[in-house]
Amino acid sequence: MQSNDYEQAEELELARLARAGDESAFAEIVRRYSPRVFRFASRYFRQRELVEEAAQEVFLKAFTQLDSFEGRGSMEGWLTRITTNTCLNMLRASKRKPELTVSDLTEDEGDWLDNQLAGTATERHQLSERSLVAADLAGRVLETMSADDRLVLMLVDGEDTPVKEVAEMTGWSVSKVKVRAMRARSKMRKAVEQLLAYKRKHTDRSFETTERER
Amino acid sequence: MRDEHIISIIENAPLSGLTESELALVGAHTAQCAECRRAFEAAQISALLLRERLAETIEPSPFFQTRVLAALRERQAAGETSALRRLWNATGALVSSMAVTVAALALLTVFAPGSQPATGSQETASAYNTYSAEEVLFEQSDTPADQMSYGQVLSTLYESDDDR
Repeated sequence: MQSNDYEQAEELELARLARAGDESAFAEIVRRYSPRVFRFASRYFRQRELVEEAAQEVFLKAFTQLDSFEGRGSMEGWLTRITTNTCLNMLRASKRKPELTVSDLTEDEGDWLDNQLAGTATERHQLSERSLVAADLAGRVLETMSADDRLVLMLVDGEDTPVKEVAEMTGWSVSKVKVRAMRARSKMRKAVEQLLAYKRKHTDRSFETTERER
Repeated sequence: MRDEHIISIIENAPLSGLTESELALVGAHTAQCAECRRAFEAAQISALLLRERLAETIEPSPFFQTRVLAALRERQAAGETSALRRLWNATGALVSSMAVTVAALALLTVFAPGSQPATGSQETASAYNTYSAEEVLFEQSDTPADQMSYGQVLSTLYESDDDR
């Protein structure tokens, strides 16, 4: 088979060839689906090394489970399920930070929260501005949550993935996904609310000190 | 409804999934309730943080495919080695258990009292025992009535000598 043929091959045919020991067919599977697996794994990990580790594990697992791919669904969906489980297991194995306090925040993150507090009262459109600081802060807040909470929050709230689809990806029941999402949403909101409360106090104290000095 | 807090509304579904009427309800309530206003602000910032986090994606490096294939070969080689090791371990265990069984059976055969048949070696050993006819005859403590007494034997022996 020519390399061009592999690129043209249907996914079921690629799976059949890879199962039979054709390394080029498996290489084509990796080439074709690695962007998707990386995109999915980057939802859960921010460091490149971790994303690559997760993605590699996904493809190695996929190779051993090629028998289970019968072409009923898409290979992308099948790999997404494997990615979800792999990332979930990796997250479960990693230590999570029990709590996030204002003292843990960088100056930039604190400023970003201040801006949001000011912005929410005046110009709401500022909320849509993307920034690295926000992503860092989001990562820190998410680190305080369990692996399951993080996963469900990213999928349901972050990407608007339908609850039924999340249930299929995780193997959970629809009601479990709903309950888990509600709890995770509540935890994240409370964590952010706590940070905002600290920031407000800090801002008020600074203001009072400035006034006294005058 | 005016006095009811809106926490359940903002927790039951993602903010992006709230209907117009729900948003209107939230707006009306947060205008009067500071606690719910703070909760709603936090929910909005949470949603924004999630969006910002998801905007970050990492693309695969050009070497990723090579890396995966190398890892696959490595794992397959390790799998073959461990399969051989498992086979070797299983064989070793089988051989040693067989050896123990054979040794135990041999010990039972040799030392079990009264259970073994007379073997050739035992017969040879009994042949080497040097018992004289006199010892056999004289050391019998209980002489049965139908056998000759000590005196009868002696007289029989000496009489035959005299006859010669």
